Amino acid sequence: MKLGSSTTEKGFTLSEMMVSVGISSLMFAAILTTSVSLQKSLAAADDFFATHMQQIRIIDYLSRDVKRATVVTTSADKQSVTCTLPKYIIAAGDADAGTGNVNAGKRRSPTITPTANGAVIDYGATSATIGYTLNNQTITRTEDGVVTTIAASTDSLVAETTDVELSNTEFATSTVTFLPTFNFNPANNGSPPSQSQRDKRDGTTVFAKAYLRNKRRG
Amino acid sequence: MVQLCSQKPISVTSVAANRSNVGLMKIKSNPESGSAIIAALVVIVIIAAVAANVLMNCTQRYNATSTQVKAWKEALYAAEAGGDIGYAECRRAVSNPGTQFTSSSWNAVAGAGTPTWTSAGATTFGPSNSFSTTVTVDQVWADTSSNPYYRIRAIGNAVVRGLKRISLDDRMNSTTKGDSLLRKIDFNYDHFIAKYGDGDGTNAYVQTVANPKVSRRIELIAAPVEPFEGFLKVLGAFSGPGSAGVVDSYDAHNGTYYFCANNPADAHYADSRNGNVAVDTASFSQGGTIYGDVGTNGGNVTHSNSSITGTIDNTISFTAPPVVQPVPPVSNPYKIGSPSTINPSSTSTSSATPDWYLYSSLNGVTINVRSDASGNPVETYVTVVITGDVGDITIAKGVNAKIYFTGNVNNKARDIINNNVDGATGVKNADGTNSTSVSRAGHLQFVGISPTNGTQQTISIAPPGNVWATFYAPDANFSLTGNPDVYGAITCKNFSGNGNTGFHFDKALRGTAGPPVEYRIASYIEDVR
Repeated sequence: MKLGSSTTEKGFTLSEMMVSVGISSLMFAAILTTSVSLQKSLAAADDFFATHMQQIRIIDYLSRDVKRATVVTTSADKQSVTCTLPKYIIAAGDADAGTGNVNAGKRRSPTITPTANGAVIDYGATSATIGYTLNNQTITRTEDGVVTTIAASTDSLVAETTDVELSNTEFATSTVTFLPTFNFNPANNGSPPSQSQRDKRDGTTVFAKAYLRNKRRG
Repeated sequence: MVQLCSQKPISVTSVAANRSNVGLMKIKSNPESGSAIIAALVVIVIIAAVAANVLMNCTQRYNATSTQVKAWKEALYAAEAGGDIGYAECRRAVSNPGTQFTSSSWNAVAGAGTPTWTSAGATTFGPSNSFSTTVTVDQVWADTSSNPYYRIRAIGNAVVRGLKRISLDDRMNSTTKGDSLLRKIDFNYDHFIAKYGDGDGTNAYVQTVANPKVSRRIELIAAPVEPFEGFLKVLGAFSGPGSAGVVDSYDAHNGTYYFCANNPADAHYADSRNGNVAVDTASFSQGGTIYGDVGTNGGNVTHSNSSITGTIDNTISFTAPPVVQPVPPVSNPYKIGSPSTINPSSTSTSSATPDWYLYSSLNGVTINVRSDASGNPVETYVTVVITGDVGDITIAKGVNAKIYFTGNVNNKARDIINNNVDGATGVKNADGTNSTSVSRAGHLQFVGISPTNGTQQTISIAPPGNVWATFYAPDANFSLTGNPDVYGAITCKNFSGNGNTGFHFDKALRGTAGPPVEYRIASYIEDVR
């Protein structure tokens, strides 16, 4: 038997090519689909996590201000909170700032007045006011007129705070929820959220209870 | 014929080699080439990119939430622990004054103007001692009775674990939202000391930090708590008043008590609805109306199952320190004898130098008052220590009698005679000014010395008559039968009152009813700079 003059055999047969192209197509399709899904999942998880960070920030801001407040009031819809705080630091222009504001930046010493309802601790004649407001998808913190946006999300962040005043103590309970975007359209075409959507919102709830330390029980 | 794809093509090279090397079998590698390795690499690169993205995000989020946010919260815990350390030392002013700020944990600060103490070094605690706190306490004020008010300043530090990365920043954009406006982390330098020094701008300098940390600073004011802040404090079970009874309040500044708690148009209506009752157990039963707030420790009191006009709180707890037998100062010892009529000395017109008397039991004793040149009664102070039971007693108008007893009180209300009047009309101070000690009940104070032998102390008041007095007896069971009215305030163990008994808290007792029994945090500030 004598072989032909061709000494090398290169290439693939047609069937090989068809099979390999078919398999490759399937593989690339799978990879592409998986990759897209992974990216979407990552984006959704990242968005979820970022929104969760905002939840924590809202709760931490609220808890810090409620703890040091003397008065906390909440709106009927639970979405606005106003805290009244002592002015601990002497600011330039305050009556006790002194000539040339030499005392500005110093800590204020309290004046103490015993009354029939216990001692009144007074840090200055005026107090600071801090308000939290939910406006569309933005939550702002306003301290003496200075507005700070502390959270903004397309995930429909909703913070609700209730102030509870008892005989010798007071506390504020806050919940912050949002609607994960990778599950539902938060706008919902302007319609109220469905039960399923509400259930998903409930699953994102972060809850905190902060006592007004200036109204401790005796 | 179409070659089957499973058949391997015959290599010409291999055939030729076989021809020239007959008898020697040689295996040569197959030069077959393909794109599988490239495809695999592409897949790996894609997956690695996705994984790296995930890992980077996770690391950043973990760094933020699990270390930096955590440390920020822990720093407050540390600061509040420091506040508690300082508060515990302030409370020694009541429980054990001789030991206050005397341990090696505290250093007195010289030249501070007011008495000031600072903790000797930082107190460390927590896992791997990652928390620390330092405390400074100073006496910020004292009331007219020289009761000190303390200011407690505590700094809490928490180590930030994990990567030394800034994952929170103060840029206000769509992703950061100013985290570091809220949470300030010192990675290399203590930002507070660098900018604010001691907090007042003094001694500011750049201080490096050994480990990344968060510091938070709080300021507390510890204020003394007076013996009576409401009508009734009960450490055990509460039962009363009877169905025809009532608990309300009045203010002796307005004169004699009259009932107006159901008349909003009355000028003293607001003063009539502070007949507060606090119970440190869940045991609470009630008949008549309580015009005031009610608190229990775990009870089930509601407005629907009770007759209470004020706020109900079933989650309160409190303490009432026990009483030890007082000892008169060396400069003002007991007067000689145990007379049935006490005629106070000239020095007794000052609350700082009351006359001291010691009785094994007291019954049928009258305490007279000092008078000025015009015959007006002058506020007179007498302290009586009784190592037994208390019987009939009468005090004259202007007398301030403090009765300590180790035994029991078992009297008819009419035999506890307090001739003072609400408003202190006609009574003078030693300097000739009109007395402002307006509370009739505040002039007669019974203090039950806590038994040390386990016996049960009792206070039993029976009809007829009414009582104007205060009772501070945290280890005594108080029972009131029949229809006497009690004007004043009570602190006791178990309380039982039935029938038509009326309980009327005199709000004028606040600020005048003796030394503090406790300290309370009256103010809380956090320095958020």
